[in-house]
Amino acid sequence: MKRLAELKQAGHKAFVAYIMAGDGGIEKLGEQIQHLQERGVTAIEVGIPFSDPVADGPTIEAAGNRALAEGITLEKVLEEMQRFDFDVKVPLVIMTYLNPVIRFGAERFTQEAKKAGASGIIIPDLPFEHRQLIEPFAKQHELVLIQLVTLTTIESRLEEILKQAEGFVYAVTVTGITGSRDELAEEVGAFTRKVRDLSPVPVYAGFGISKESHVDMLRDDVDGFIVGSAIVQAFHEGRIEDVEPLIDAVTAPHSV
Amino acid sequence: MTRVKICGLMEEQHVKAASQADAIGFVFAPSRRRVSIERAQELSRLADNGVQRIGVFVNASYEEIDKAVKTVPLTMVQLHGDETDELIRRIEVPVIQAFSIRTPGDVEKLNSSIADYVLVDAPGTDYRGGSGHVFDWSLLENANLEHSRLILAGGLNKDNVQAAISQTNPFMVDVSSGVETDGRKDEVKIQQFILQAKGDSMERTQEKTIDPVGFFGRYGGQFVPETLMKAVKELEAAYEDAKNDDEFQKEYHHYLKEYVGREQPLTFAARMTEAWGGPKIYLKREDLNHTGAHKVNNAIGQALLAQRMGKRKIVAETGAGQHGVATATICALFDLDCVVFMGEEDIKRQQLNVFRMKLLGARVESVTKGSGTLKDAVNEALRYWVTNVEDTHYLIGSALGPHPFPTMVRDFQSVIGKETKRQILEKEGRLPNAIVACVGGGSNAIGMFHPFIEDASVRLIGAEAAGAGVDTDRHAATLTKGSEGVLHGAMMKILQDDAGQVQEAHSISAGLDYPGIGPEHAHLADNGRVTYEAITDDEALASVIEMSRLEGIIPALESAHAIAEAKKQAQSMTADEILVICVSGRGDKDMATYAEKLEGLS
Repeated sequence: MKRLAELKQAGHKAFVAYIMAGDGGIEKLGEQIQHLQERGVTAIEVGIPFSDPVADGPTIEAAGNRALAEGITLEKVLEEMQRFDFDVKVPLVIMTYLNPVIRFGAERFTQEAKKAGASGIIIPDLPFEHRQLIEPFAKQHELVLIQLVTLTTIESRLEEILKQAEGFVYAVTVTGITGSRDELAEEVGAFTRKVRDLSPVPVYAGFGISKESHVDMLRDDVDGFIVGSAIVQAFHEGRIEDVEPLIDAVTAPHSV
Repeated sequence: MTRVKICGLMEEQHVKAASQADAIGFVFAPSRRRVSIERAQELSRLADNGVQRIGVFVNASYEEIDKAVKTVPLTMVQLHGDETDELIRRIEVPVIQAFSIRTPGDVEKLNSSIADYVLVDAPGTDYRGGSGHVFDWSLLENANLEHSRLILAGGLNKDNVQAAISQTNPFMVDVSSGVETDGRKDEVKIQQFILQAKGDSMERTQEKTIDPVGFFGRYGGQFVPETLMKAVKELEAAYEDAKNDDEFQKEYHHYLKEYVGREQPLTFAARMTEAWGGPKIYLKREDLNHTGAHKVNNAIGQALLAQRMGKRKIVAETGAGQHGVATATICALFDLDCVVFMGEEDIKRQQLNVFRMKLLGARVESVTKGSGTLKDAVNEALRYWVTNVEDTHYLIGSALGPHPFPTMVRDFQSVIGKETKRQILEKEGRLPNAIVACVGGGSNAIGMFHPFIEDASVRLIGAEAAGAGVDTDRHAATLTKGSEGVLHGAMMKILQDDAGQVQEAHSISAGLDYPGIGPEHAHLADNGRVTYEAITDDEALASVIEMSRLEGIIPALESAHAIAEAKKQAQSMTADEILVICVSGRGDKDMATYAEKLEGLS
C-alpha cells in the first residue's frame, strides 16, 4: 500500500483492476492476477461473489452469479490465494459484501486474508459508522479498510471519513450502481478535486469508468482509476486485450 | 463479568429465551425437569455455538455420562451425588461438582474437590440436585475460596441475583426454579434474570461493538452503500422531527380515519370460539382497511413524510402486491410518481394486484433475477433508490431495512395494537392472555405486539411460514431456521448457507416469502418476549377454509398462518382466557391460489 503513495508522489496515475474471483472457475483467479500485473496494473481488487449485491449493476451481478454457480465462497478464494505459486507483485484488495464476512467471522477473515497476501479490504455495505465491526481486526492483521466516498456524502461526514482514510480513497463517480456508462456527470470533477484536497491518501475514481474519455476528463482531479465491469466482462468474453488501451491510457507517462 | 447458566431446560422456546446466557443445563437425573439424551440433543441444536451445554447427573455410571457427553454433545458435566474422584478424572469434559452448604465446615469441603468448578447450593429437599432455597451466602464471603471456580446456585431469582453476585463474586450463577412460573420455565423471567445478572455490562459490551443508534440488541443498523447514507440520515432526522410534530400526527390520523376507514373492529368470533372449545377468540380486522390489508397504515405515514421531505417520487417493492397496491393507492391520492418492483413469480400468482397497481397509475417493474420473489424485488428497489436517491423516497413495506425504517414502520403500524388494547379493555375489562400475528418481514405483527411488549401477562406469538415444512428446503421460517446476518441494510436473522449466501425462501403466501425477519423481531425472539412458530402451506390453507365457513371472513393467505397457529394455541387454553388474532388482510387477492389449491372443495 505504501507503493500507492509513492506512485502519487512520482506524479503517476494508478490503475486498479477489479475481478470477480471464480468467474470461469477458481483456477482462473491466479491466471487473471498474473495477466493483469504483467500488463502493468497498479493494484487488483479481488471481488467475492454475493447472492444480493445491491451496489452492483448487471455485469458484476451476472459475474457473481456465475461464480456462485461454480461453488465459489469467500473461504475458497482465500484458500486459493494462499496456494498461489507465483510472485504477487501488486497490492491485492479483497472486495466483499459484509454478510459473507460475518458468517466467516470477522477476526478469522482478516487473519486468513492477511495470510492470503491481501493488503486491504473494501466492504461496500459497511458504512463508516459501523466500521468497528471489522476495523479492529483489520488493524491487528495490518490490513487497511478502504473507505468509499460518493457524490452524496455530506461535507461533515466526508471530512470525518477522509481524516481516517488509509491506503486509498474510493471516490464513487456516479450516483448509482456499478457498471459501464457512456458519460460521467459534469459535477464529478469538482467532487474528486474536493476529495483530493482533503484526503491524506491517494484518491481513485471508480464506478462507471470504462472509457478513455472518462480518464481524460478526470485525469487531473484524481490519483488513479478503478475499472470493474469492463474488465470482468472482457475476461468473461475472452478478450481482455480490449482493455489494454485503457490501462495504457492511465498508466502511460503523460505530458503536462 | 459473571456468567449465567439457565438450568433444567425442557422446551424449545426456553432454550431460545436463554440465548444470551453463557450456559444451559439439562437434567438427566430423576427430577421433574428430567430429559432424555435424545431430547437434550434436539434442544441443544437451538442454542448458539458459544453456549456451554451442561449435563446434570446424580450417581450415574461413567458409561451413561460418557454417552450423554458424546451424543448431545455436552461441553461440561455437573455432578450432584457421591461421585468418586476416579470417575471425575475419567470424564473428558470439564466437571462441576455440587455441594450443599449448611455450615462453615461445608465450605471447607469445596477446596478439596478435584473438579474444575464447584457449585454451591442450599441443601436439597425433594431430590438431590438443588432445592431452589437460598442458603446463607455470607458463609462464602470470608471463606478461603477460589472464586474463579465458584458457581453459585440455590434460590436465585431476578431480584436477588445482583446482591448474590456482589457478595460472592462467583464465576457463574446457576438458576432453575427462579425463572419458572407454576413449575414451568418462563421466557420473560429467563430474560429478566440474565439482564439482572449481567446488569449494565451487557449493554456496554454491545455499545462497544457498534453504535447503539438504530439497534435492537445486536440487530438493526444502517448497512447500506455510501451513496444511500445521506438519504438514510436525512430520513432519520425527518422522521424524528415528524414523530414529535402534532400537525403531522393529526394529518396521519385524519387519513387513517377518513380514507382508510379506521378504527377497525375487534370482532368476537363466536363460532370459532365454540368450534375450538378453548379461549374466547377475537379478530383484529385489518382486512377491513381500504385496499384490503394493514399495509396502507404504513404507506400513508411514509407518503406524508416523503412530501414533508420534498420528495414526490416513490419507489416500493412488493411481494403479495398488497404493499404495492397500498403504495400505488396513496400515490394516486397525493399525486406522487410511483414505481413498484415485483418479482416475476409473484406477478404470476398475484395478477389481480398487478392490475390494480396499473389501474392506479403506478409503473410495475418485473424482477426476473434470483427466485423472482420479494427478496429480489427489494434488491432492485434498493438499486433504483441508489440511482435516484436525490428526488426519490423508498417506501419500504415491512419492518425491515436500514434504520430508521424498522422503527418508523413499526410506529405507523402500532395503530393496530393500540386500538386492540383499547378495544379489549372496553369489551372484557382486561388484557388478552395471548395474541397471534403472522410474520414475513414482520410489520403487522410488530404493530400489533409493540403496545403489549411491557405487559408481561400477554403472551405474544408470531406465526412464520413453514412452506412445505421446516425440515425441507422449501420454507420461509427465518426464526426457526435462520441465523444472524446482514441483508437489505440491517443486521437481522436470515436464511443463509454456510458461506453467507442468502437462500431463497418458499411459501405459498407471497407476502411471507422472504428469507429475513426484521431486526426488532430477531431481538424479541432472542430475549424470549415473543415466541415464533412455523405454519405449513397446508395448515394455512386449512385455516382459510375453516375461518371462511365459521365466520364468513375469507382471510389472506398470510393471515391464515396466524389463524392456524392460534388454533394450536387455543388447545392448551381455557374458556376463561382470551386469544386475539390479527387478521392482517383479506383473501380477495388469493382467490386464484384458493381456486387452484382447493379445487373440488365441497
